[in-house]
Amino acid sequence: MIKIDNISKRYPKAEKYALDKVSLEINTGEAFGILGPNGAGKTTLMGIITTLILPTEGNVYVDGEMITRNRIDIKRKVSLVTQHVSIRRDMTVSEVMELAGRLYGMPVKQIKARTKDILEFTGLYEKKKQVARGLSGGMQRKLMICRALLTNPKIIVLDEPTVGLDPHSRRKIWDLLEMLKQKGITILLTTHYIEEAQSICDRVALISNGRASEVNTPDNMISRLGSYTVDIYDGITTKSYFFDTKEEAIGFAGDIPGKTKLRETTLEDVFLDRMGTELGEKVK
Amino acid sequence: MIETATGEILSSAEASEEKQSRVFRGLYGIRTAIWEMWAEFRHEWKRITIASLISPLMYMIALGWGLGSMVSTGDRPYIDFLVPGIVALSSMNAGFTSVGMSFSTQRLYERSFDQVLISPTPIPAYVFGKMVGGALRGIYTGVLILLLSIPFGATININGWFFLVILLNGMVFASLGVLAAILAVTHADISRFSTFVIAPMTFLCNTMFPVEKMPAVVKEVINVLPLTHASSALRAIAYGGMPQWYNFVVLAGYIAAFVVLITIVLIRKSNL
Repeated sequence: MIKIDNISKRYPKAEKYALDKVSLEINTGEAFGILGPNGAGKTTLMGIITTLILPTEGNVYVDGEMITRNRIDIKRKVSLVTQHVSIRRDMTVSEVMELAGRLYGMPVKQIKARTKDILEFTGLYEKKKQVARGLSGGMQRKLMICRALLTNPKIIVLDEPTVGLDPHSRRKIWDLLEMLKQKGITILLTTHYIEEAQSICDRVALISNGRASEVNTPDNMISRLGSYTVDIYDGITTKSYFFDTKEEAIGFAGDIPGKTKLRETTLEDVFLDRMGTELGEKVK
Repeated sequence: MIETATGEILSSAEASEEKQSRVFRGLYGIRTAIWEMWAEFRHEWKRITIASLISPLMYMIALGWGLGSMVSTGDRPYIDFLVPGIVALSSMNAGFTSVGMSFSTQRLYERSFDQVLISPTPIPAYVFGKMVGGALRGIYTGVLILLLSIPFGATININGWFFLVILLNGMVFASLGVLAAILAVTHADISRFSTFVIAPMTFLCNTMFPVEKMPAVVKEVINVLPLTHASSALRAIAYGGMPQWYNFVVLAGYIAAFVVLITIVLIRKSNL
């Protein structure tokens, strides 16, 4: 289990806190999403969990043990896939993997054997001798996930793993994350693609202005807002109205002249609603 | 019973094991950084080799053959004076550039240093490995210059001390490269650092002309700089003698001072 206990972070010279007393608990084997607008503090939180960034206040515990830069045993349990492509572009795919293994103190034989397994599993084995700068964006991101898996982590932290990827590459990475979930690895994910969080995550936390405002399952969040949505386009903007049942939504839509659309509510609607975007209202 | 920095209570046996594994991790970290630089070298060796030879070749042609015929350096030809100076400045450049440029690229542009930070490898060990790697690159460059000097007719005495001086000189400037890379805010800072610190030393520190000919005040300043001692030591060995003991002390002192500074910066900088 990961316990994020009252974490605050204020960067030097910054006027306000990037994170302000955030507390979360993530269960072992759970896929947990952290959603929030740009600048909400998601990447800072990911950085603190992996010791890349030191908090101003608060602690992070993994299986009851506080994680610090000196806690080698705990650091071994956690892998990070950063938002930016953080691989040595001048190294081959195999060398990128070997460097990661060496940094974690793995014997070279073991690194080579696991690299072969993981690259085969992810379809990158054919590219093992290719220099990383020659790989497509999708493949570079896949390589980062492979690198994170090399050390057999119990927890994998993914900060926007599919940002900037085409839909095909994104789907491939989703499949990979699903496979990790099946293996019982705890996944901590930040993403801008709400559908990604909805499809992968067991629970999500909404974070805004450095504060965690809500933690729940995507289904619970959706049902609290209303499982059905009627979008009404008034010629300028689209307003959404939320209903608990399909019948209520149909009844409401039938009374409205003009262009209306009935659909199931998504996590994106919840996200926009909680972030204060004017969508419409819940109709009782 | 022993309490660790993190508040854990360990038995003596556990503490000893922890200490041993910490030493082992440190050594492994050094080896990893050297391996990384070796991997880098394997890909780029042709470019590195050519780039290492261009400036020294120009110095040997322009200064050795050209101006050298008009310069008096005692009873030996000027090329014999020049080559140890070029070996010193080239190993300085190799040590600084191979670590400073590459490390700042890793930290600021590729951000691949993030993976080092989150890994169990102790950062000081990794950084020390980078310094050793930079020094080895200095030795490689030094050997290239010595080979290059053969057709120029240089008569140079070489022994183990010669390579020890190159190693120390490479380490001094590799550690300066690490320090510059850690302090750099943008990648351009490394180039600026090189312009303000490395370039002046290239010309002033007993490399191409004797320091004795400089004004007294300037001479005092130059005598404090590490490259002066590397040049003097290499020249003394090249001439068949032995360097002064304080040449080694100054070089070792600079390494120790830079290591201390790096450690302080690493501790103080919470976000690398």
